Amino acid sequence: MSKDTKRSGRRRPSGKREQNKERTKERILAAALELFNKQGLEATTKQISRKAGIAEGTLFNYFKTKEDLALFFFQKETHDLIEWFESQSRLRKAPLAEKLFAIIHRQLEYIAPYEDFIGAVFFRALQPRSKLSPLSLDSHELRVKYLRFIRDVLREAEEKKEIPMIGELGAYCVGLFYMGMVLHWLHDPSRGKQKTLALLDRSLNLASRVLKKGAWDW
Amino acid sequence: MKRRGSSLARAARIVQLGAGLTGSYLAHQLQRPFLSDEKREARRQSLHNRNAKQVRRELQHLRGPIMKVGQALSMQTHLLGAEWIEELSGLQMQAPPMHPTLMRAQFKSAFAKYPEEMFSSFEEEPFAAASLGQVHWAVTKSGDEVAVKIQYPAIREAIESDFSLLRTAAIGPRITGHLPDSVIRETERGILEETDYRREATNLEHFRKQLAPLEFIHVPRVYRELSCEQVLTMSRVRGARLQEFLKSNPSQELRDRLGAALTRLFFFQLFRVRALHADPHPGNYLLNNDGTIGLVDFGCVKYLKPEVVRCYAQFWSREWVHDAALFAGIIHVIFGPKTSPDEPRVRRCMNEIRRFYDEFHPLTDKPVILELGDSRFMDGLSELAKTLFKNRFLSPEFLFLSRTESGMCLLLHSLKARVATTQIARQWMPAISKTKKDNCG
Repeated sequence: MSKDTKRSGRRRPSGKREQNKERTKERILAAALELFNKQGLEATTKQISRKAGIAEGTLFNYFKTKEDLALFFFQKETHDLIEWFESQSRLRKAPLAEKLFAIIHRQLEYIAPYEDFIGAVFFRALQPRSKLSPLSLDSHELRVKYLRFIRDVLREAEEKKEIPMIGELGAYCVGLFYMGMVLHWLHDPSRGKQKTLALLDRSLNLASRVLKKGAWDW
Repeated sequence: MKRRGSSLARAARIVQLGAGLTGSYLAHQLQRPFLSDEKREARRQSLHNRNAKQVRRELQHLRGPIMKVGQALSMQTHLLGAEWIEELSGLQMQAPPMHPTLMRAQFKSAFAKYPEEMFSSFEEEPFAAASLGQVHWAVTKSGDEVAVKIQYPAIREAIESDFSLLRTAAIGPRITGHLPDSVIRETERGILEETDYRREATNLEHFRKQLAPLEFIHVPRVYRELSCEQVLTMSRVRGARLQEFLKSNPSQELRDRLGAALTRLFFFQLFRVRALHADPHPGNYLLNNDGTIGLVDFGCVKYLKPEVVRCYAQFWSREWVHDAALFAGIIHVIFGPKTSPDEPRVRRCMNEIRRFYDEFHPLTDKPVILELGDSRFMDGLSELAKTLFKNRFLSPEFLFLSRTESGMCLLLHSLKARVATTQIARQWMPAISKTKKDNCG
């Protein structure tokens, strides 16, 4: 893993003022998630601020829109993911397919309690003007952080000659694949979302087999 | 290591396999009227060999649930010829592997907890593969050594889709009657049942209680609080699988004792328990040097109707050879009202089975010890299987019974055991009074 990911992955706000600010943001997010989960993104800022125990005006100091709130959620998710992955010593030695399975599964587990909220966000993100859209500059930083993290995981596999050199395209593919998995997961009626588990495992195995066989020759 | 492909690739493979099979079956059916008897037999034989090899190769690529079908078919010795059994038995005990992360994810989706939260220790590497999942050693919080069987996710859906593909792919053999729909249905039912481990837990408890009089059989205990639809926790049962056991060069005396124990187990299940452990592949019997046997994997169990058990006893006694009414009764139970006992193929097959029984269970009063390691015995079994297959002598009601019986024959043969089978069978055989034959059917 490269140094810059490590640094950004573990960055903590310094100073008491910063810490307080972060805590308030998390309190607002917790309140918002609860409401979003019940009412989707239709929950009002009034409801959110009341639930978080702050003035509505204060809320706007932290989050300009509800989409900013959703973005904050995904920032935390990515941060948690990278930190978690670095703590998994056994996984570091596992084959690439298992690593990617573990990463995507961890992401799905993280969003699992907020299924309705994620469902609403997913469709909001399809609008090009949304801050959550893959085209928006607001979500750009988050996306780059995630893609770099995935690229580093892939690079490790490339260095071990586990897969041929696929470069940055690989990270974009995994990112798209994750989006597809979330969509499948959202619509998976099976108990414990087992169909998603099976699909995730099978497609990763297939992909790593294709890559290993060199059918993906650059 | 080769793993399962995408469902599309699987579909393509099955279709390809089916197309190959269908083509050759149809070709065989079309050529039939123009071939002499001898040539026909030779042609059929080579066709069978080729098909068997092809099926095994294809199934090995697929792994997954369809492999279970292969495994199940490998035990249908009455349905398939010896060449098929040989090829398909290569599939036994192989399974789709789950890496530790997937295993843990699957465990969590079943219990909403990770294994380490429910056990005091849990080995992440599986010690054995079952074709629907894999088995891990663990120690419970109360300190008991257990085996935990975990199923591959969404296996039920995969089996259902495999079977719908199989139906399409096997359209040829289905039309010609070599693979009737009723047999496919019964096999699918059996395999789908195996996907619910709670059912298996119930079977285990039933057999553990019912087989208690056979002190040489060990059936694992179920830990209900640590089991669910897709996870099954059982006490650890010791013993070696057939192949490992044979490598240790066991004495003839021990082989004989185990052979007798297996024969006892079969007839006791049939006549007393009226239910069969119907997955008799060698990996499910754990053999010990003290002559005891650990019996595992109760996913496939067949509970028999009383008239089926009675019918088997009547058949076994071979009195029907001279008793037309008894014969008609037996055929009625096996095939239902649609098949007439006067059909020549029915009489031919029954006589063929009788010939085999006369060798395997000779009707004499003095104990006869059979050398079951003799190749003559296996040849007889495969000849019988061929005749029955050729004459489409298949009955869903007896599918699992014959599967278990031929599984037992294969085991006894591999053990090279010497067993007084007739004497053992008679021990629990219900009395066949003349009046009972009227109830039969």
